[in-house]
Amino acid sequence: MSVALEAFYLPLIMLTVTLLGGLRVAERVILMPPPLVALVLALLLLSILVKSGALASERLMSADRSAAANLSGLVVLIATFLASAQAFNLATPESGLPRLLFSVFLFVLLLNTMAASSDRIRTLRSLAVTFGSAFVLKFIVLAAISDPAGGRLKRILLVMLEGLTLGTLTQDPFHPITGYLAFLTFVLFVVGLSLLPGRAGVPSDVPRLRSHS
Amino acid sequence: MREVAVRTFGLVIAASYGAFIVWMYVRQPQSVAEVTGGLTASLGAYQVNQQSFDEGLRFFRNDQFTAARLAFDRADPGHQDARTRFFIAYTFYREGWGRLYHDDMLFAQGLDAVDQAIALDPRGTLVIEDPDLALRSPGELKGELEAGLRSDPSDLNPFSAFRRRK
Repeated sequence: MSVALEAFYLPLIMLTVTLLGGLRVAERVILMPPPLVALVLALLLLSILVKSGALASERLMSADRSAAANLSGLVVLIATFLASAQAFNLATPESGLPRLLFSVFLFVLLLNTMAASSDRIRTLRSLAVTFGSAFVLKFIVLAAISDPAGGRLKRILLVMLEGLTLGTLTQDPFHPITGYLAFLTFVLFVVGLSLLPGRAGVPSDVPRLRSHS
Repeated sequence: MREVAVRTFGLVIAASYGAFIVWMYVRQPQSVAEVTGGLTASLGAYQVNQQSFDEGLRFFRNDQFTAARLAFDRADPGHQDARTRFFIAYTFYREGWGRLYHDDMLFAQGLDAVDQAIALDPRGTLVIEDPDLALRSPGELKGELEAGLRSDPSDLNPFSAFRRRK
């Protein structure tokens, strides 16, 4: 990993995710700090990244590195933690039953990813799918249900959810730009995760794959 | 040597950006003007547009309150000047004041504005020396606005019809 990436680009990417992760545009612009559950999920995510080798913490902070290098490594770790918390904040609905369901769903998914002990690539792919699914559910499906004007998608969803009280599902509607910014934030976050320094060792299942090629 | 320079530069940029993010989350600015205004105010470089402020004052004295608020907003687009916020609150007070009853909506907006003025002047040093104003500090104005929003038996006092606008 180059010095510029560690000292400059990674902190900037992660801090940008931290900034944009709490941004909600409605009648007013709101910047929402992460709730406690997002901090717990972020901690879990960091341990998954370390366990899978997607984040080699020893390449960011160790006794072999200089003080300045350790300091910039610490900045990367803190920025990654904050960005993760805000990414979960962004992926979780703001209120009601969906908030509870999403939090439990994300928690179980992360535990599952941790238990699966996958390698770096698979972990990153799994995280991309997790955040992508959360984005679709929150900013397309839930947003359509919560849209006061309604549309074709809302009518289809109403038929599918026949018998369910929508009051438990609907959220405060956001300006459409919130969804676009959320998409950008998730992409930036996944790019940031993939740029983190990985463990130098080759994952256990890779030699088997290579031997076939 | 170059590595240390890059790392130091990266740390400075990350620390500044981190401080900016914390500031954004604490202050919750609503427009680009508020962001730039807040940042220049934190550096002590923020200035109101004096011409618009004087214009607002002229409208205020002529009881043209909507025009006065627009001019004050032009003077202080970043919402960083306690004096301008105080005058905006005062426009809401005077517009909402009535001999028999007050306009609660305007008084509530006035209370919002005077709270901003108080937040911008935490030491309470702001006093407007103007013979036209009976309420010369944000604290006095806040008290008057809160009293106007309160419902109590004194509202039924017939002599309140003889009270004067401050």
